[in-house]
Amino acid sequence: MLKTRLAASAPSANFLLSFASAIALCAATLMPAHADIKIGFQVPLTGPAATDGKSAQLAGQMAVEDINAAGGVLGQKLELVTYDDQAKSDQAIFTANKLIGEDGVKLVINASYSASGRAAAPVFQKAGVVMISAYGVHPDITKAGDYMFRLVHLGPPQGVATALYIGKTLGLKKVSTITMDNDYGQATMDGFLAAAGKYGIEVLNKYSYSLKDRQFGSIVASVKRDNPDAVYATGYFFTGGPLVSQLRAAGITVPIIGSQAFDSEKFIEIAGPAAEGTYIIDSFDRDRKDDTLQRFFTGFKNRAGYAPEGVAAITYSAVKLMADGIKRANSTDPAKVRDALAATKDFPLLEGNLNGFNSLHEIIMPISVNEIKDGKFKPAGQITDLNAFAPPEK
Amino acid sequence: MYYIDLAVTGISIGCMYAVMSVGLTLVYGLLRILHVAHAAVFALGAYVTVLVADASGSIALGFLASIAVTPLFGMAIYRLLYEPLLKYRPDVPMIASVGLLVLMQDAFRIVFGEQGVTFHRNAFSFTTFNFAGITVSAIQIAIVVTAVVVFTGLHLFTTRTRIGVGWRATVSKPQIAASFGVDPIKVRYLNFAIGSALAAVAGGQVALLNNLVDPTIGFVVSYKALAIIVLGGLGSVRGTLVASLVLGLVESYGTIFVGAWLDRDAIAFLALILLLMIRPQGFTGAGTA
Repeated sequence: MLKTRLAASAPSANFLLSFASAIALCAATLMPAHADIKIGFQVPLTGPAATDGKSAQLAGQMAVEDINAAGGVLGQKLELVTYDDQAKSDQAIFTANKLIGEDGVKLVINASYSASGRAAAPVFQKAGVVMISAYGVHPDITKAGDYMFRLVHLGPPQGVATALYIGKTLGLKKVSTITMDNDYGQATMDGFLAAAGKYGIEVLNKYSYSLKDRQFGSIVASVKRDNPDAVYATGYFFTGGPLVSQLRAAGITVPIIGSQAFDSEKFIEIAGPAAEGTYIIDSFDRDRKDDTLQRFFTGFKNRAGYAPEGVAAITYSAVKLMADGIKRANSTDPAKVRDALAATKDFPLLEGNLNGFNSLHEIIMPISVNEIKDGKFKPAGQITDLNAFAPPEK
Repeated sequence: MYYIDLAVTGISIGCMYAVMSVGLTLVYGLLRILHVAHAAVFALGAYVTVLVADASGSIALGFLASIAVTPLFGMAIYRLLYEPLLKYRPDVPMIASVGLLVLMQDAFRIVFGEQGVTFHRNAFSFTTFNFAGITVSAIQIAIVVTAVVVFTGLHLFTTRTRIGVGWRATVSKPQIAASFGVDPIKVRYLNFAIGSALAAVAGGQVALLNNLVDPTIGFVVSYKALAIIVLGGLGSVRGTLVASLVLGLVESYGTIFVGAWLDRDAIAFLALILLLMIRPQGFTGAGTA
């Protein structure tokens, strides 16, 4: 019974097979003769980092569409092979191995947090795969080896630049500091504290909070007692928003200087009128007269329903830079792309001009500052003294 | 002044904890279930308050809506989740409760978005009063007043009204209460309805304070509420109030004096461990209020 049924179904299976191969043949003739260039793409699409991950995913997709619409790279289309890493180390390693083993990917954008980039870096390095970490700030990422690149300033240089900006540019000398007690918040604050003296800043008191905190009553009361000229806080927009609004509610009117991850329209939404007079260091200048930037800005807003944050902009730029590296290498061979990327000179990121990479493949570029005025990000100058906040060399 | 400012912060946060966790205490007293999903009710209350306030332009309407919606949700949790599981050991409904909290957290993420929601207009959070150099915000006053009203109201309700006395009787002596004609099932629904409405009020107030309701809002309060009801001597309303105030104050001072080594949540749990070592029965002993 079983046999006859099998036998009976055999002709139809054959038919299906030939039908399928016919379709495949048609498809093959319709498509370009050569395969697409695959770029591995790790983003946190679920879990606590998903807010940033969703933005990064859309931005990456938009970059690929723009590149392909302009004819692709080396006559080929780009294609993202996307995996959700949940911003976790174990998922980052798992998906890195998948990208290498199953997808045969040679070039990767890690558009995720440090926990992911830090774990994935040695895996890609060992396999000779080029990885650009779009916004992971942990120092270990680039230390994994010469196939690693990073597109944001490290925490400590950001902190040093902040000290320069507060002490020299704004001329404010008495500062209370509020540190978010994770890697990013602490590393950035460490840079600030180390450089504060150099720019004549006296740190009145140091406070810290955890990523989960949204109520800052006692810190606010203490800052009030300190009576500083300025408050410097590290954190994300979802901690910075409530923090700034609570500081302002208590009548603290001095300038508040926030770290890079405050940079989100949502920050302004949360803090409302309290956001006025907040400076964000290493923010991006949204009004810059630049066609690509403005096109990205409106395109993203139309598709996402909200304005792109720094994370989205830098992920877009990371994909563009990878494409440029392939073009300059005139090859998708990872060693050649690596050399081309390392030799990058004056590449236009959405955030501004990237001067290049140092020996450790850390970026060399000025840091932009935004101030919030009338509920909008307004450029408040650039920190251009590149030597003052030079990243560490190999 | 500074120390009084810290005390104001501690007391207001403590009052919020108290209003939020009283529902948990009531459920434990009645059913011996650790109602962890109470934090999801709190979060739902916060979301409804913000969304209705934004849609209608009235924060008061937001609170009314959340007080109307959350009791239904609380009673549904009892009917659909706990009632079928009551015949098993108490850890079974508790695990189901944890599951519901995790599920709701992701549901909030999917339905209301990753980025959270905020009040479009929140004049409340910027209104402050100055009493002889001590800054008190309108929200802090509202939180303390709420706690005073809630706890006085609960006290009067359970001592002066027929339903209230029946409720209290059901908590302490269910069989005898039943023989006097009190329907224990109705008491359970009442219990979930009142506890949920109170959690919603606390949720709305935290939303005002932070001006942000994100999917994680319930998670932090979930374990803090557990610490509070344990400190308060499991099932005691008076103990819950005392434990909440103590925790609020310990956190407020602790953030400043030991905050560099321990974060706020760790401080809360350190206090919990220390207290349980000294007084294993909690603040108010083994009795129920």
